[in-house]
Amino acid sequence: MSQLIGLINYGIAGNIHSIKKAIEKAGGTVKIVHSKEELESVEKIVIPGVGSFKDAMKELENAGLLEALKDAMGTKPTLGICLGMQILSSLGFEYGKTAGLNVINAEVKPMLVNAKVPHMGFNAIKIIKPNRLLFGLENEEFYFMHSYEVVNYTDITALTDYAGHQFVSAIQKDNLYGVQFHPEKSRDAGIQLFKNFIAL
Amino acid sequence: MRTRIIAKLDVKPPFVVKPVHFEGLRKIGLPANLAKKYYEQGADEVMYIDIVASLYQREILFSEIEQTANELFIPFGVGGGVKTIDDFSRLFHAGADKVVINTYAVQENPNIINQAAEIFGNQAIVVNIEAKRWDNGWECYTDCGRIQSGKDVIAWAKEVEQRGAGEILLQSVDYDGRQRGFDLELAKCVVEAVTIPVVVTSGAGKLEEIKELIDYAAPSGVAIASLLHYDKYTIQDIKAYLRNNGIEVSK
Repeated sequence: MSQLIGLINYGIAGNIHSIKKAIEKAGGTVKIVHSKEELESVEKIVIPGVGSFKDAMKELENAGLLEALKDAMGTKPTLGICLGMQILSSLGFEYGKTAGLNVINAEVKPMLVNAKVPHMGFNAIKIIKPNRLLFGLENEEFYFMHSYEVVNYTDITALTDYAGHQFVSAIQKDNLYGVQFHPEKSRDAGIQLFKNFIAL
Repeated sequence: MRTRIIAKLDVKPPFVVKPVHFEGLRKIGLPANLAKKYYEQGADEVMYIDIVASLYQREILFSEIEQTANELFIPFGVGGGVKTIDDFSRLFHAGADKVVINTYAVQENPNIINQAAEIFGNQAIVVNIEAKRWDNGWECYTDCGRIQSGKDVIAWAKEVEQRGAGEILLQSVDYDGRQRGFDLELAKCVVEAVTIPVVVTSGAGKLEEIKELIDYAAPSGVAIASLLHYDKYTIQDIKAYLRNNGIEVSK
């Protein structure tokens, strides 16, 4: 039976089309979610993210999704992608200080690295704490496209090395999952990650 | 750090064309077919540049973009004729992950870079610089090497970084389409002038020249057109050669 995955659509930012395509390729059925009511009918949630932390939080609030999303995440497995993972944190520092969804104890700060930023391109993940989302994906390469990183110490599932700097590339807390990379832009490894998410 | 190998499609709708030194055009094929081919060969990204949209003052063709994006599970950059925040927005909705801007930002309103970066995030904003040698440096051109701007390339590169661009796509008007190697000095100077990634294009004729460019200038990526279009090499060939010569690339 094909389960319904709710893809949160907030604001003008973002190419959610490519996430929808990738989930469908992995065998999932996608419902684009714009409202609280639409959120109720889905079994799992994917939070995409292109844009800035500040804009993303503002748009979620404008769409009336902020509280509803926090409630739904308590019971429905949720995957945050890139900025979608970052906004799970308590606090973000992009274009000023902004409160996040505050479901993961973390802050989002500019990458401090002696190399080109944004960190852009394929890079490997090193699994620190195996889980079902990352099953079979050890050392696989995923596409990264970000200038900020999640600073967290308790919920890390994978790290990535960029020019000698280790940063958090995946997190999990209960049924909340986050990946800093873009599985929808990461060839077969990314499709496999969506398959794993569907199988949760 | 893995150097990105990017397939670049110069499009004069409906065809991908190969501009020779920015002038003569040869038809290569349809963008959707070529994008899929290079994706399957292992490209790290595909870039789609409508090379006449700005010149003819007409809009980008969104249906073509959507069709091309459909088969790709790698990042897709799109540019040509981009002028407004609405253009950016529509391109992202049509399936672009990055939007490339040049003419309008150089000639009319550099502030569009700031606006777009604040709304869409700087990682999604690419500024294309077309550089042509002058005096002791390089001058920015627009409209595929046709129009001079009077702006110095290095100063402009620093300015666009300051304004929030997430990446520079660096083209050489002098070397483009000639397949005789890259403008190595240009690449090195721009890479060293900014802290954002620089993708270098224009000039690959031999595999050795790509390696030479990476060794000398350390760009974040190399965008390749002619070498691929004439099936001289596949992306796999290029990556295998680089890997065997000590340069890190993705699988």
